[in-house]
Amino acid sequence: MRTFKNNLKDFLIETFMDWDKMQLLISFVVLLLIGLSPLVVKSPYYMGIIILTTLYIFLGISWNIVAGFAGQLLIAHIIFLAVGAYTTIVLNNTYGVSPWIGLPLAGVVAAILGVIVSFITLRYGLKMDYFALFTIALMVALKTLFQKWKFVGGAVGMWVRLNNPSWEKMIFKAKEPYLYIALGLVVIGLLIQYRIYKSKIGKYFLAIREDEDAAEALGINTAFYKTLAVVIGAALAGVGGGFYVMYVNFVEPLQVFNLGLNVEILMAAPIIGGLGSLAGPVLGGILNKPIVEFIRGTLAAERSGTSLIVYGTFLIISILFMPQGVTGVFYKIYLKLRDRYVKEEL
Amino acid sequence: MSSHIFMQTIVNGLFTGGIYALVAIGLTLIYGVMSILNFAHGEFLMLGMYVAYWSFTLLGLDPYLSIPIAAVLIFLVGAFIQRGLVQRVADSHPLSQIILLLGVSMLIMGLVQFFWTADPKMIHVPYETEVFIWQDLRFSIPRTVAFFTAMFSALLLYLFLQFTRTGKAIRAVSQSKDGALLMGIDVKFIYMLTFGIGAAVTAIGGVVLTPNYRMTPTFGQAFGVIAFVVVVLGTMGNFIGAFLGGLIIGVVEAFAGFYLGGDVKIIASMLVFIIILMFKPSGLFGGKNA
Repeated sequence: MRTFKNNLKDFLIETFMDWDKMQLLISFVVLLLIGLSPLVVKSPYYMGIIILTTLYIFLGISWNIVAGFAGQLLIAHIIFLAVGAYTTIVLNNTYGVSPWIGLPLAGVVAAILGVIVSFITLRYGLKMDYFALFTIALMVALKTLFQKWKFVGGAVGMWVRLNNPSWEKMIFKAKEPYLYIALGLVVIGLLIQYRIYKSKIGKYFLAIREDEDAAEALGINTAFYKTLAVVIGAALAGVGGGFYVMYVNFVEPLQVFNLGLNVEILMAAPIIGGLGSLAGPVLGGILNKPIVEFIRGTLAAERSGTSLIVYGTFLIISILFMPQGVTGVFYKIYLKLRDRYVKEEL
Repeated sequence: MSSHIFMQTIVNGLFTGGIYALVAIGLTLIYGVMSILNFAHGEFLMLGMYVAYWSFTLLGLDPYLSIPIAAVLIFLVGAFIQRGLVQRVADSHPLSQIILLLGVSMLIMGLVQFFWTADPKMIHVPYETEVFIWQDLRFSIPRTVAFFTAMFSALLLYLFLQFTRTGKAIRAVSQSKDGALLMGIDVKFIYMLTFGIGAAVTAIGGVVLTPNYRMTPTFGQAFGVIAFVVVVLGTMGNFIGAFLGGLIIGVVEAFAGFYLGGDVKIIASMLVFIIILMFKPSGLFGGKNA
């Protein structure tokens, strides 16, 4: 009879030999550390940074699926986050619907918007550039629309009423519960991302990313799979937007229909981490927010424009010098370790 | 709507549209030659405005006299960005190109904000509110000058592309990169030149706006977005298309502004955008020739 120890050893070796599983393992180790952080971190300020870091990882996963896997030029992904945020807060404030129901509904509403956008711009034969231009223009149009729309608070925006904290209202006195909700989202996001990557759908996404015409010629319904990628990404971003608004307690059009925030909370993590890789959003995410907070806090607290400079530089450096991102660095180390291990076994 | 107001709205629309046309020409030229969506395009307009501001504040130059300074400076900035950054991703996935240019856009906005703050700046010139009246139509002096400067710049650029050797080389690269390469055209140089020219004409558009508009580091973004709509309307890569598209969008916005109020006119542009994408995605000028 095989012992538990042997089983564990086999499992670890199997995981170690498979880079995809290794990435998942690395991601979960990072999440475990984040989950244990409240034992050490007591200051609400640092706790806030950790919570946003975790949320950005989840949002990064949503963009990684659309842009990293399927290669779609979804630049203003934040429209889905914004719509999700507004859905949650309107349901909560106006109709008294608990955010626990509001969050999934936010995902549904964002997904429906995703279908509409895809229907207009992702037909086969339409250049993918149109999609990029369309989402940006849509973001600007939605900003104006929401500023005029009294039902969602107009230009002033909406607040979450913070009286009587309770579980069902997703309002807590302490910060830790928010952290564990965010972690829960990331776990779900990582599993969805892994399943997609390993499935046929994931292979179709990669085929479309590399050469859409060839994919179409091979009989893949590219319009359908592009739409699917956008819808999955939109739904996750919508849920993330719902949580975002419950955590920051506030949403207004200028804040959420904004390319700067779009880069900061959706694009930066997967780009720094390695676009299209499984561990990218996690490895990029743990650098993104903390580095920016550090720079903002120490170097240039009083000057404006620093976060634009930092993110602009992040994007340029990532694309020019580290197209594989942090995950690429890990991969090189991993290959060396694996070669050494394999040699020893032989 | 009386015929007088109707005519006045058209004039207002054409005047705004002239600037859109110039900005969109820069964008469409870059796209036609390099197949790159310049997400930092609006920032060149904004930089042009700041060049005018500093020429005015430091040297006491009238904004219209700073046009050549802005054109040369922003040409150099554009050429540098192309050679130093964009050229390195010329053969990468479009997503990498867009992310890079988005980074450039944020960096430019951030630097401007860092050094000169986000406070709106304005140039005060004696003629800023002057108008002349012709056939009962009111023409604001700065906007008239802006319109004709834009038209003149567009015409010059058109003649340059049509009749000079370099212009013909640019059009050749736009039609076929490989063919141009085989004919001995230095394609890399043409890329750099085109990006610089595209940036420079956009900066001219920015300079002539200065007597009317307050400048902020994010001012260019709105123009960048409109320019996207315009180039799709006028067929991406098509010079004449971008020119006419700019005028059309200007007039559409003026009428939308008249009926719905100034700040919702972007929604009208958006509707135009959706209609083109749904029914005529290749734009008004089907084929592609720059």
